[in-house]
Amino acid sequence: MQLDYASPPRGQKLERIRAFLAKLSLDWDHTIEHTVCLLEDDHIVATGSLRQNVLLCIGVDPSLQGEGLTATIVTELVKLAVQSGKTHLFLFTKPENEKIFTSLGFYPVAGTSDVLLLENKKDGIRQFVQSLRQPRVDGVIASAVVNCNPFTNGHLYLLEKAASECALLHVFVLSEDRSAFPASVRLQLVKENTAHIPNIIVHPTADYLISSATFPDYFHKEKGLSSEINCKLDLTIFATHFARPMGITRRYVGTEPNCAVTAAYNRQMKSFLPTMGIEVVEIPRYELGGQPVSASKVRALLKEGRLDEIKPLVPPATFAYLERMTPID
Amino acid sequence: MELKKVGVSGTLESSDVMITLEPGNGGIEIELSSTVEKQFGNAIRREILATLESMGVNNARVTAVDKGALDCVIRARVKTAVCRAAEVEYNWGGDGQ
Repeated sequence: MQLDYASPPRGQKLERIRAFLAKLSLDWDHTIEHTVCLLEDDHIVATGSLRQNVLLCIGVDPSLQGEGLTATIVTELVKLAVQSGKTHLFLFTKPENEKIFTSLGFYPVAGTSDVLLLENKKDGIRQFVQSLRQPRVDGVIASAVVNCNPFTNGHLYLLEKAASECALLHVFVLSEDRSAFPASVRLQLVKENTAHIPNIIVHPTADYLISSATFPDYFHKEKGLSSEINCKLDLTIFATHFARPMGITRRYVGTEPNCAVTAAYNRQMKSFLPTMGIEVVEIPRYELGGQPVSASKVRALLKEGRLDEIKPLVPPATFAYLERMTPID
Repeated sequence: MELKKVGVSGTLESSDVMITLEPGNGGIEIELSSTVEKQFGNAIRREILATLESMGVNNARVTAVDKGALDCVIRARVKTAVCRAAEVEYNWGGDGQ
């Protein structure tokens, strides 16, 4: 048996992997970056793939299951991930395969009826949530999950309004480093721009909310939707691992006029979270001159170097950062 | 010896152990998952600790996924991971260890 690598597979090779996965009722994922196959006489007998820090599309020929081929595939994928500096790893599988992967050093995070997410850190998510500052308060504890790419007056409006309606507002900033602005900058700007609101606490999310692992479609908006988005897993993690232990009973969200993926996510949130005892409150988008203020608008203006037009759309801390980072030539 | 980056060695195959080493936050921290945890968990932890100590590593986060590796395998995998994480060549010339 020999190992074959592709980053990512294309053409005929991709077609063969797709066909192999289809026999195991697994769908290829167009966001995959690396794939490893085990070949015997030029036929695929096992395969697995990597997207960022997520292992997925792992399958073994039914006639060879139980011979440890999964271990070979997972070993290669873990080494690939570590080589690119990623040590906190996630893995997707079908719920019935849980035992195979727990014996390879992975621990369950959350699951739905058709997918199970595991991570390579024992109690990783529980320890992470426990480490978040969460003072005791009387009254409603609410939350908002934001990317703030970058932080605009729209975000400021949403968070000020949300904070005025509850005792404590936990704000989670996506930690995935795949946005135009790095995670550390986005987190810092949310902290600076909300420092004047006493009942807000700003947290990172360490890949546990809206990440490559929990909701990959979010990062591929530009590619359009090939299928119905699947954010049930992301919402399950929010409800069980964040909301329940932290006492969160409300989630705030801005209305989404432009982005189809975010709009679909909001719809699923409104139908699913209330079944978990979490109220969803939608706040109308902040508008300026009849136009919704959005981070994508700011990014577009930035690309064209139109800093003057950005000024009315963002708070001072964001503007100061944008001025610093804009190259002067 | 000081760890500079992540180092990984070994495999998840039967009778092997996969060691991932990262620079720590002061001290040695071991997260072990083993198919023989109940019988040999503490012996495996001792072996990893002793090997790190013998190489002068005192600040590391260790993730060990053990599939029933023998002591000599554990030692070899830890040494290799240390060298990769510390970016040094190891002299396998044989000091009897």
